[in-house]
Amino acid sequence: MTISLIALAILLGLVFLRVPIAFAMSIVGGAGFAVMRGWQPAGAMVGNAVFETGLSYSLSVVPLFIFMGNVLAGSGIAHGLFAAADRVFGRMRGGLAMATVLSCGGFSAVCGSSLATAATMSKVSMPSMRRFGYSDSLATGAIAAGGTLGILIPPSVVLIIFGLLTEADIGKLFLAGIIPGILGIIGYLLAVMAAVRLKPELAPEVGEVHPLTRRDAVSVFAVLALFLFIMAGIYGGFFTPIEAAGMGAAAALLIAFATGGLSRQALWTAFLDSATASAMIFAIIIGADIFSNFISFAGLPDALSGIVEDMGLSAWTVLLIVVLIYMVLGCFLESLSMILLTVPVFYPVISSLDFGLEILQDPEAVLIWFAIIVVVATEISLITPPIGMNVFVLRSVLPDVPLWTIFRGVWVFWIADILRLALIVGLPVLSLYLVT
Amino acid sequence: EELIMSSWLPPKHPIVVNAFEPWAEEVEKVTGGRVTVRIMGKPLGSPPAHFDMARDGIADITYGLHSFTEDDRFNRARLGQFSFMGDDAIANSQAYWEIYGGKLDAADEHEGTHLLGLFMHGPGLLHNSIRKIEAPADLQGLKLRVPGGYVADLVEALGASPLFMSSPEVYEKLSRGVIDGVAFTYEAMTAFNLTDDIKYSMTVPGGIYNTTWFFAINEDKWESLSEEDRAAIDAISGAAFAERVGKAWNDADTVAMEEIGDKVDFYEAPPEVVAALKEVAGKLEQDWTESLGEGYDGAAALAEFREMTGVALE
Amino acid sequence: MTGPAAGTGGQGASRRHAGWYRALAAIAALLIGLLILVTCIDVIGRYLLNRPFGGAYELTQMLLAALVFVALPLTSADGGHVEVDLALHLFPAPVQRLLGRLAGIVSAVALAFFCWRLVLIGLDQVEDGTRSASLMIPMAPLAFLAAASCAVSAFILLLRREDP
Ligand code: NA
Ligand code: NA
Repeated sequence: MTISLIALAILLGLVFLRVPIAFAMSIVGGAGFAVMRGWQPAGAMVGNAVFETGLSYSLSVVPLFIFMGNVLAGSGIAHGLFAAADRVFGRMRGGLAMATVLSCGGFSAVCGSSLATAATMSKVSMPSMRRFGYSDSLATGAIAAGGTLGILIPPSVVLIIFGLLTEADIGKLFLAGIIPGILGIIGYLLAVMAAVRLKPELAPEVGEVHPLTRRDAVSVFAVLALFLFIMAGIYGGFFTPIEAAGMGAAAALLIAFATGGLSRQALWTAFLDSATASAMIFAIIIGADIFSNFISFAGLPDALSGIVEDMGLSAWTVLLIVVLIYMVLGCFLESLSMILLTVPVFYPVISSLDFGLEILQDPEAVLIWFAIIVVVATEISLITPPIGMNVFVLRSVLPDVPLWTIFRGVWVFWIADILRLALIVGLPVLSLYLVT
Repeated sequence: EELIMSSWLPPKHPIVVNAFEPWAEEVEKVTGGRVTVRIMGKPLGSPPAHFDMARDGIADITYGLHSFTEDDRFNRARLGQFSFMGDDAIANSQAYWEIYGGKLDAADEHEGTHLLGLFMHGPGLLHNSIRKIEAPADLQGLKLRVPGGYVADLVEALGASPLFMSSPEVYEKLSRGVIDGVAFTYEAMTAFNLTDDIKYSMTVPGGIYNTTWFFAINEDKWESLSEEDRAAIDAISGAAFAERVGKAWNDADTVAMEEIGDKVDFYEAPPEVVAALKEVAGKLEQDWTESLGEGYDGAAALAEFREMTGVALE
Repeated sequence: MTGPAAGTGGQGASRRHAGWYRALAAIAALLIGLLILVTCIDVIGRYLLNRPFGGAYELTQMLLAALVFVALPLTSADGGHVEVDLALHLFPAPVQRLLGRLAGIVSAVALAFFCWRLVLIGLDQVEDGTRSASLMIPMAPLAFLAAASCAVSAFILLLRREDP
C-alpha cells in the first residue's frame, strides 16, 4: 500500500511537470514493477503491454466512433443541428446557450467521444454566441458541459471500455445511458436558465430567430437516421456494438457525401484528427495498463477491499465512498486513465454488495447501474479543475479564452451534474428502465 | 518465499476455485509454510501472453492454452487437440501428462519454465441454434465459432464457415444471430450464458475437439527453491494435478448439464456424420504426424492416448 | 495548458505540411478506410450473401495496431499527448522552457525503452514463427513497425522546443 501511494505521488509530480500522462504512467508503473520484481520482468511486462494493446479487437471502436463524429462535424451537420435547436429556444434569454446544450446532446447520439463532441460544438456554436454578446464564460461552460454527454448518450467509447473491463453486455450499457443522458440535457438547460436569471448580463435579452432552412432540417434528419441505424443495427441483431462503429462510420460517410457538405479538405482533416486522437488515447491506455499492473502487483486493490470488509460498512455507504473517491480522483486524473485504473479496483467490491433493492437483485443490474454512475462521475471530472479534459479542449480550440473563464462558466453545470448523479445513485430505475 | 501466480480466467471459474486455489493452499501445507502462492486478482497481461510471462518472470506461475498462439513452439502439444480423444477430463489429462509430458518431451517445448501440469477439459461439443445435424450435409452453410485451427479445418471440410472470436464475444454474436453455433464444452455453455440461444448440441464419442493447457513456473524461480520444497511441490503437481483439475472440469460439466436440463436437445452424432468427421480428422492427424520430424512417433502417441482414455477408433 | 490539441498552433501546424507527416497521415487514413471496409464486407457479406468474412476479427486487430503505431509519430509531432502545464506558470519563463525540454526528454526515454522491448518481441516472433490463428499472417512485422514508430516518436519528443 505504501509503495502504491509513493508511486501515485511521483506520478502526479511528473504530470504537473508536464510529462504527458501516458508516459508518466508508463515510467512510474514500469519502474515500480522493476523495484518489486526486477528489471528483466518489468521490461517484458512493458513490452507486452505496448504490443498487445494495439491488437485489442474491441478497441477498434476508438478510431471508428471518433471518425464517425469527425465526418459529421466536417460535413456541416452540426451547424444544422445547432440552428434547429436555436429555433426551440431562440426567444428565451440564454437561448443560444440552451441550443448549444441541446445540439451537444444530439451530436452525442452520433459521436462516441466527449472530447470530439466538445471540440465540434465549440466550432459551431461559439461564433454565434459571441456575435450576440454572450459572455465567454457562459458560452464555453455550456459547450464544455454539453460535450460531456458524448460518453453517456450512446454510442460511447467509454461505455465500451467499461464493458470490456467488466464483461458487461455493451448493448445493455448503451440502452442504460439514454435516460440519464436526457436527464443531463434537461439539467443543463435548467442550469442555463438559472445562470441567466441570477446574472442577466451573461446573455442578451433575446436572440434572433432564423427560419429553419431545408439544410437544417436535413441535418436533424440525418443525425436521427444515423442514430436509429446504429441502435436498430445493434438491437435488431444485424451487427454487434463493436461492429456498429465500422458500420456507423460508413453510414456517416454516405450521409456526408449525399448531403454534399463534406469537402475533400474536411474529409482529410476528419481522417487525420481521428488517427492522431486514437494514438493519443492508445498511448494513455498503454500507460494505464502498465501502471495498473504495478498497482495490482503492489496489492492496492486487495488492500482497499480488505479495508472495506473490515469496516463492515453498509452497501450504500461503500457506494457513497466510492462516488466520493471518483469526485476527488476526477479533479486530478485524466478521464480515461481514471476509468482504466479504478474500475478493476472498485467493480469487484461493488459487485459483492447487497443493496437490498428489488431492482438490484440481479448482479448484472448492479453492474449496469454502476457503469452509469461511473460514467456520470467521469463526465463531471471532465469539467472539474484542475485537470478537466473538456475544458482543455475548448482552450485549445479557442486559445484567446483564459482557462479560468471557462472554469468560471462551468460551475452551474457542475451543480446540475451533482444533482443528476445523486438522482442516478438514488433511483437505479433511471439507468435500468430501458434495459429490463 | 511467495510465488506470484497470474490468472486470466474469471476468479469464480470452476478450475480456478476447484483446482488452482486448492493447489496453491496445498503448496503452503506440503512445504511447511516455506512457500506460498499468491493468485493475482487481475492478470498481469493478456491471456495469450501467459506462457511468455512465466518464462520472462513477469509472474512466477501461469497457466494457459497451447493454442493461444499460432507458432512453431507447441507443435507436439497438439496431441490432445484432435477429435475422439476421450470423454473424461481426468483420464484425458492423465494421458496427456503421461504421453506429451513423456515421449513427446513437453519440457523441451516449454523451455524456460518447469512444468507443474499439462491438462485437458471435458469433451468438446458442437452447439447450434438452427438445426439438428442428421447428415453431413446439414453442416452446409452454418456459421460456427471455433476455438482454433484444427476444428476450423474440420468443419470447413464439411461445408460450414468457421469464424474466430474471443470466448466472451460468443454470447453477443450468437444472441444476435451473427453466428449459428459454436464448438464448446458443456461448462462453457453456462459460463458464457448461451443456454437460451442454443437449441441443439451434438455429442461426438470422445469429443469433437479438445483444448490442451499448460501450468508452469519460471525456471529460475523454480531452481531457487530448496530441493526438498521442489520435491514436495512436484508430488502435488503433474499427474496429481491432472487428476485434480480433471475432476474440476468434470464437476463443472456435470453442474452445467444439470443447469441446462432439457433446455437444449443433446443428441449423439449419427453414424454418417461421425464417419465424415473421422475421414477429415484422420487426414489432419496424419499431417500433424508427418510434421513432427525425427524421433517423435505421433501415430503411436495418438494410439496410446486413446488406449488410455478408452476411445475405440476402428 | 495543452489538451489533446489538434495541431492548432506553433510547431504542429508547420509540421503538418512536412513530407513525412503527410505520408504517414495518408497511410493512417488508408488504414482507417480499411478498418471500415473490413467491417462492411463482413456484415454485408453475412446478410446479403450468407458469406461471412472469417478473417475479419484478425484483420481488424492488425489494422488497428498498425493504425495506432503509424499515427503515434503524428500525435507526438502535433504535441497531441495529454499533458498538464498548470503548475508551470508558477515558474519564470526560462525555467518553464527547461521543464518543457525535460518533459520531452523523459517521454523520449520511455518511448526508446518501448522501442527496445518491441524489437526483442519482434525477434522472438521471428524465431518462433508467430502468426495469426486463421489468416496465418506473421506477427513480427507488426512488432518492428511498432518499434520504428516508438523510435521516431522518441526522436520527435527529444527535439521538442517550446513554442515562442
Ligand atoms: Na455518444
Ligand atoms: Na478533472
